[in-house]
Amino acid sequence: MTTGFSLSSRFGTQSLGGCYAPETLMQPLLDLEAAFRAALADPAFEAELKTELRNFVGRPTPLTPAPRLAAKLGLKALFLKREDLTHTGAHKINNALAQAILARRMGKTEIIAETGAGQHGVATAAACARLGLACTVYMGVTDMARQAPNVARMRLFGTRVVPVEAGQGTLKEAVNEALRAWAGSCDRAHYILGSALGPHPFPTLVRSFQTVIGEEARAQVLEQSGALPEVVLACAGGGSNGLGLLVPFLGDALRRVAVEAGGHGMVLGEHAARLDGGRMGVLHGCKTLLLQDEHGHTAETASISAGLDYPALGPELAALVLDRKVEVRRASDDEALLGARQLCEAEGILPALESSHALALLPALAAEGVATILLGLSGRGDKDLSTYQARLGI
Amino acid sequence: MNPLLPFLMAGDPSLEALPGLLSEARSLGIEAMELGLPHSDPIADGPVLQAAAQRAIGRGATPLRVLEALAGITDSPDVILFTYLNPLLQIGARRLQTLLAPTPVKALLVVDLPFGEEPAFEADLRAAGYPVVPLLAPTTTLERARQILLERPDPGPGAPFAQRFAYVVARLGVTGTGQAMDLGPVSARIQQLRTISARPLAVGFGLSDPRSLAAVRALGATPVVGSALVQELASGRGLSDMLSGRLVGDA
Ligand SMILES: Cc1ncc(COP(=O)(O)O)c(C=O)c1O
Repeated sequence: MTTGFSLSSRFGTQSLGGCYAPETLMQPLLDLEAAFRAALADPAFEAELKTELRNFVGRPTPLTPAPRLAAKLGLKALFLKREDLTHTGAHKINNALAQAILARRMGKTEIIAETGAGQHGVATAAACARLGLACTVYMGVTDMARQAPNVARMRLFGTRVVPVEAGQGTLKEAVNEALRAWAGSCDRAHYILGSALGPHPFPTLVRSFQTVIGEEARAQVLEQSGALPEVVLACAGGGSNGLGLLVPFLGDALRRVAVEAGGHGMVLGEHAARLDGGRMGVLHGCKTLLLQDEHGHTAETASISAGLDYPALGPELAALVLDRKVEVRRASDDEALLGARQLCEAEGILPALESSHALALLPALAAEGVATILLGLSGRGDKDLSTYQARLGI
Repeated sequence: MNPLLPFLMAGDPSLEALPGLLSEARSLGIEAMELGLPHSDPIADGPVLQAAAQRAIGRGATPLRVLEALAGITDSPDVILFTYLNPLLQIGARRLQTLLAPTPVKALLVVDLPFGEEPAFEADLRAAGYPVVPLLAPTTTLERARQILLERPDPGPGAPFAQRFAYVVARLGVTGTGQAMDLGPVSARIQQLRTISARPLAVGFGLSDPRSLAAVRALGATPVVGSALVQELASGRGLSDMLSGRLVGDA
């Protein structure tokens, strides 16, 4: 049995990340890293994952040119990487399915997950149904109300959805509860964390299962336009779709941009913008940029988008930002709603509220003189219809 | 052997009550006591301690106020500050030492700080007299336990219990009162740990009734009682009443 990690658990010049876990979870995390490394070295794992990504998830996802929206915004070209077209409707399935296969290889029979927007919960529920694993998803009560269709979908897939009442009833509390549940069942359960956060090896594991987005997109944009775009753009909650899209472009001379939730104000508690508002801290097992008060207590957050409504930026993305390889911008609730409406009207695509934050930045980038953009459309907006109806008056 | 290691949440029922509770514990012969620093995201705590932390935070028991409330107290058991890492990191090792100096705190139990993650921070605090308590979970292999005990060494028989003991987590999961526990695995665990270390052991998580406490004592270890005390204290029971019943009892 291993007593130390083999992969680096730290990111960037400020050594973000790490493994700040309760002792009960240390051996399970060590075992997980060992299983992950073994899987990566095993062609059978890669083959199974590839087949399932093609036959079950629907990869590769298209890269869709969006010429009408581009023209409207004064851009020369806009490309959308369509993670909304994956099975279950968001990039989350790339990671959930891969971790579920990994869990089965480890001999685990139960799966635990947290969810915010419900997309990771639905993806995990679907992967577990497909692989025959028992699944329990922890979800804050606020999120259960605002993402009700996803609660129903999880239950249809046979997953037990456990409401989390604590605090604001959003993603942070769901992660708290999932970590507690895992400590009680780690002898038989695997915890499928849904974003590039948490203790090592989760950030590395999740990023490595999401870079398929950027690898496909890079080849597709070269094939379709013969050149790389000037900007690659994604929204950032914990950072999994952001890293997935941006990391394969790290070696290229272009701007990489992540968009955080600006919520409805600039004061702590009114947004989930960790770069401006956050300080270095430890939450949920990793050191990163964190929205917190002067006592080191996690601050409240606000966003119209459940998937971005989280007080910490994943450590690898935060490190890339601090080391100036990725820019961070913010978009407010209202800007995101406008971005969604524009995409709907110009291209006939309904984006998730999370993805709408990336769309919301397009006018600003156009105003800066950017001509070509590749945008990660991380998910579809069916789950957000009730919010769109209420806020857009339709 | 130390017969009981009680746990209380600082600020619950109130910070004003804290000096009196510590003094009362000392008069009952309690040698060392764990004191929880209320945190916003206690990922290793069950519902009872979560609720206690929420109540305490709601009443203004911030980390600095807790340390201020402890300053100058001498009529107290040795205090082991039970905490999550982030509040300590925000205070910083240097300032933390200054704040701890006038308090009865003798050691830190940092739930989410495995050895090696903050080596400089931990070394500074140990050098200043605030060692981090080694935790050994049911999932901790014997090999890892050996490493943990080496990284967080026993200062030796001259040092007080609070700075010497290793905390053996009795079961998987989070803090809280559980069903009557099968102590078989704990007993095997303690025997196993005795082969690699002679330092005092405390056993916690899920213990509350006098019988299981006596059973832990019979294994030569100190039982920790937390959630049960916090719950009873919140419902208005007196500390002496709660502790004296738990200081006696047969296996
Ligand atoms: C569609 C969609 N996009 C983005 C996110 C944000 O997560 P991450 O930053 O990990 O991609 C979520 C999270 O729930 C989501 O559902």
